[in-house]
Amino acid sequence: MSNPYTDMAKTELAFCIGTNMTECHPVAATFLKKAIARGAKLIVADPRRIRLAEMADLYLPLRVGSDVALLLGMAHVIAREGLVDQAFMAARTTGGAAFLEHVQQFTPEWAAEITGVPAQDIETAAIWYGSANAAAIYYTLGITEHICGVDNVQSLCNLALMTGNLGVEGGGINPMRGQNNIQGAGDAGAIPNSYAGFQPVDIPENQAKFEALYGRPLDSERGMTKVSALEQAGESIFAMLIDGENTLVSDPDRTHGEHALKSLDHLVVIDIFLTETAALAHVVLPATAWAETDGHFTNSERRIQRVRRAVTPPGEAKPDWWIVSALATRLGFAGFAYDSPKEVFNELCRVSPIYAGIDWGMAEKGEYQWPIPYKGHPGTPRLHEDEFINGRGIFRVINYRDPAEVVDAAYPVWLTTGRRLQTYHTRTQTGRAQGIEYFVPEEVLEVHPDNVAAWGLQDGGWATMRSRRGSIRIKVKATERSPRGTVFASFAFNETPVNILTGSGYDPITQTAELKVCPVRVEAYEEVAGPA
Amino acid sequence: MSTQPSINEIPLQNAGIQKTRSVCGYCGVGCSLDILTKDDRIIGIQPAMDGPSNKGALCVKGQFAYDYVHHPDRLTQPLVRRADGQLHPTTWDEALDVAAQGFQRAVDQHGRHAVYGIASGRTPSEANYAMQKFMRAGFGTNHIDNCSRA
Repeated sequence: MSNPYTDMAKTELAFCIGTNMTECHPVAATFLKKAIARGAKLIVADPRRIRLAEMADLYLPLRVGSDVALLLGMAHVIAREGLVDQAFMAARTTGGAAFLEHVQQFTPEWAAEITGVPAQDIETAAIWYGSANAAAIYYTLGITEHICGVDNVQSLCNLALMTGNLGVEGGGINPMRGQNNIQGAGDAGAIPNSYAGFQPVDIPENQAKFEALYGRPLDSERGMTKVSALEQAGESIFAMLIDGENTLVSDPDRTHGEHALKSLDHLVVIDIFLTETAALAHVVLPATAWAETDGHFTNSERRIQRVRRAVTPPGEAKPDWWIVSALATRLGFAGFAYDSPKEVFNELCRVSPIYAGIDWGMAEKGEYQWPIPYKGHPGTPRLHEDEFINGRGIFRVINYRDPAEVVDAAYPVWLTTGRRLQTYHTRTQTGRAQGIEYFVPEEVLEVHPDNVAAWGLQDGGWATMRSRRGSIRIKVKATERSPRGTVFASFAFNETPVNILTGSGYDPITQTAELKVCPVRVEAYEEVAGPA
Repeated sequence: MSTQPSINEIPLQNAGIQKTRSVCGYCGVGCSLDILTKDDRIIGIQPAMDGPSNKGALCVKGQFAYDYVHHPDRLTQPLVRRADGQLHPTTWDEALDVAAQGFQRAVDQHGRHAVYGIASGRTPSEANYAMQKFMRAGFGTNHIDNCSRA
């Protein structure tokens, strides 16, 4: 997030797109509710009539995967209506002239044709966003889990740049991260293209710096993404270490994923339970859980916060940093003789310019948001206030593309996936919490009541849902949250493995899977010999 | 935490209940909370009213979905797959040996880019830093990623 959570309550207009905030980031939604109570306007763009849509002043029910078209249409109107922040564009951005010329062709009527949102509503959304003194964009995986995820994000950046909504209180571009420390994983360098602190591996100075720190030659080429590595399993990747991820259930195209993991010569999994993924491993190493270990999480607003051990871990479970270091030492690798998480964290701070101003003791109260470039620096709650990291904000010329697969006669229905309020991811944790079972005992497919009738389904009955990759059996729930022709299910339940169906395509730059769009066919389930 | 107990905490202390300040382990909002423990078990969670990102708010998962920590299914010993094809409990010493040998074999046969690490978005940053260092400084490859792409 470019701006802190506390800015949410200060916005004049919140534009929420591809975020089911009340279910997936409920506490963030409480700040938004405060802003609305104070008089802020809310625009919600989402294919499903989610709770947030009910709260909105303007709801844009766009077709799944049509975000770029909506955002181009909005940019067209902002330019046409003279709502561009000329001073901001001149002083702080580059590429603006080409962008403004590019959007001239994308009328709201053109966007309406693709998105299914009335042209008049696209006009209103653009005028509201363009006229507000401080307008904030909030998004999550509904924007990124597409083959055009990068295009979607850059389209949002274009809107913020053309209206000067960056570096201002109550504004900004704010992706909310779905996992407690996914931000910290990137910060710490657990990505194929950068060392800790987002220092690219393919810049020679960075390579030299880390070669000196780590005392060995390092690789100047970017590593593979996880998606490529799973494709290469048994081809060029033969041994894998997976820490705390139920890859098999969470990732798209499950049949392919299972084959990939089984193709490895050697799989080592570190986890707290014997997940479906751990059950395929050659070695399983028991880790401490949350509340059993000391360390740090970094949240969506780049706030580095201390987590603490409150109870003794069960049996011989060990902290993840200890396990990895012990394995490294066993392989004869130098530099892993850590005695405490404090030593690991202080090394991370020393080698990362964005963490350079803190150490283990200073992060106690969670008051620092990175970048904290030197000791005595107060941290950076709001990014881009004076200057962009690369100097100027860059406009990108983006065009709309169809999803990897579109509906046709064989697969005429759009399936979109996500999470629910009470369950988390693959239920490794929430599936083992008693109260949660009471709320969400099983997965259901949300179908518009008209479609339930038209497709010969029963509310509460079973359906077969098929894609080009496989089929599953799932219980039907009639609800007007789903628009006609689009159905929704979460991927939480191993018993209802929705990710057998997904995996139609990947963003070419980030290799993020298009989990939000999958054409399917839904029919009444017919009992054959034996259970499904 | 060695801060002076407030008047609200005296009954907790008298009942043998400890409070540990931490951060929720679910989504990326990063809500501060207090873990209430008694006899080394978690018995409840309280939102931290002074939490910098949540200001006293918590959701249904953060407030109630903690009992997995003490679930009987928790892994308590390392497991290795033996000749019968099944996973069997073992010592850390053997498990680390088998784990290390498998990586060494892959590198010996196919080179340093034949290994891959997937770090977690759930573990603390210390685990993530160790994982990427394991791949980069240990094997000499940038084959490291986390679960943010799915």
